[in-house]
Amino acid sequence: MQCRAALTRIDALRTRELAPIEQTAVEQHLKTCRSCNESTEDVDHLVHAVKALAVAPPRSCCDDVKAQCVDSVDRVGDVWVAFSNDGIRMISTGDSIDDLRAPYAKRYGRELAPAPIPAALRKQVEAAVSGEGVDAPKVDLESASDLEHDVLQTLTRIPRGQVRTYAWVARQVGRPRAVRAVGNIIAKNVVPFVVPCHRVVPSAGGVGNYIFGSSTKRALLEREGVPVDELEMLARDHVRYIGSKTTHIFCFPTCRDARRIQDKNRVPFRDADEALEGGYRPCRNCQPVVAA
Amino acid sequence: MKNSWTGGETLPQAVDDGGLAVAVHRCDPGAFERLIQRFERPLFTYADGILQNAFDAQEVVQDALMRAHKALTRQYDEERCRQLALRPWLFRTVRNLSLNKRRSKRSSLEQPLESFDDGRLGPFVHLEGSELERKEEVELLKRAMSLLPVDARELIVLRFMEEMPYAEIAKTVGASEAALRGKVFRSLKLLRDALEQKGVAYAM
Repeated sequence: MQCRAALTRIDALRTRELAPIEQTAVEQHLKTCRSCNESTEDVDHLVHAVKALAVAPPRSCCDDVKAQCVDSVDRVGDVWVAFSNDGIRMISTGDSIDDLRAPYAKRYGRELAPAPIPAALRKQVEAAVSGEGVDAPKVDLESASDLEHDVLQTLTRIPRGQVRTYAWVARQVGRPRAVRAVGNIIAKNVVPFVVPCHRVVPSAGGVGNYIFGSSTKRALLEREGVPVDELEMLARDHVRYIGSKTTHIFCFPTCRDARRIQDKNRVPFRDADEALEGGYRPCRNCQPVVAA
Repeated sequence: MKNSWTGGETLPQAVDDGGLAVAVHRCDPGAFERLIQRFERPLFTYADGILQNAFDAQEVVQDALMRAHKALTRQYDEERCRQLALRPWLFRTVRNLSLNKRRSKRSSLEQPLESFDDGRLGPFVHLEGSELERKEEVELLKRAMSLLPVDARELIVLRFMEEMPYAEIAKTVGASEAALRGKVFRSLKLLRDALEQKGVAYAM
């Protein structure tokens, strides 16, 4: 082996990173070559000296990075609430924080650390969980798509004690044919109660599915004063809208305007076209038909 | 032991790099803090070695760590995190960001390592010299380092300050191990020459 070849390998020899055959060759060469031996010593000294050059950063970026990677979580009543500085990010009914960590990691890619929730957010969550309405809930859904954002925004406009259909939500967001997509988005609502996804029911009748089960959804709606049994009876007769003979306006059956129509003036409709043909106009509050 | 970020249970002390990458992917409490503790200092040394500027180096390391967090949690699936060679991957991120920053700040003043004559690879001369104080020696070395081309500097940092095996350096800078052995030796030789050029005999 030439000196030149040996010298480029003496560093790898120090740390035993050479292939066995190369290692033997270099060792053989060093046995005979005095100058290469001296170079080896020099390399060792220089390497030793260079180690002292390692520097520490003037300031650890730990805290700056932490702000980007960790969100807070706190217990409010019976639920865990994950939140950022900008609002509520996830609500879980699980027993421990750990039940929230995995779905949170999946959706937001962040860790959760226990921290006291701001009073304003706590109030909103308490109000929502106890069945009271929440106006403009402060939610922070960083990665939400436009459609997701619009759908959740629409849900917050459904008043307490009333229900709408998935088809209605789809029409409201301007995607009347995307009922399934809208349903999927509502099913994946990460802030239940605060964004009242339980107030959306199938057009075909019944209360439909819910993250915490249909019976919970039913109980929640009944607590808010939705006449669930009455709705089911209407659904069995294929009645979707109720009109008033006196005003010639038609509404969703749970709309507050529909519920004060006197029995003798109530007109059932199977669909919006039937009502429109009969000379009725859609209610401006519950908007059974989106104004063109 | 409670973790200072999250209050949850900390990871086992001996978690290896692959396990740490998976833990970060799963957002285990304190996982990313552990990653920072393990890598911030070496990454900073490396970035500073390339940039020769503590402020820029700090910025680059922070940027790299944020990117790493995003990639591990949002872009890579668990399997990819498990397979990932975490250390070279982080160093490569810092390397790319450092070189970008360096390029944007000024045109290269230093000659690349390849342009140096490596025809005469004679043995190092054993230098005689007075005993230097440790501090002076470090100062001297720092100055000599700053005279080196950037690719020589980065190899010296990776190989001798971080003590990375050649296989990992190869992954970090994207060269073959055989080529790196030659480059590392030439870098050392340049460092030794730079020490001599300063007119100071390097005490061995």
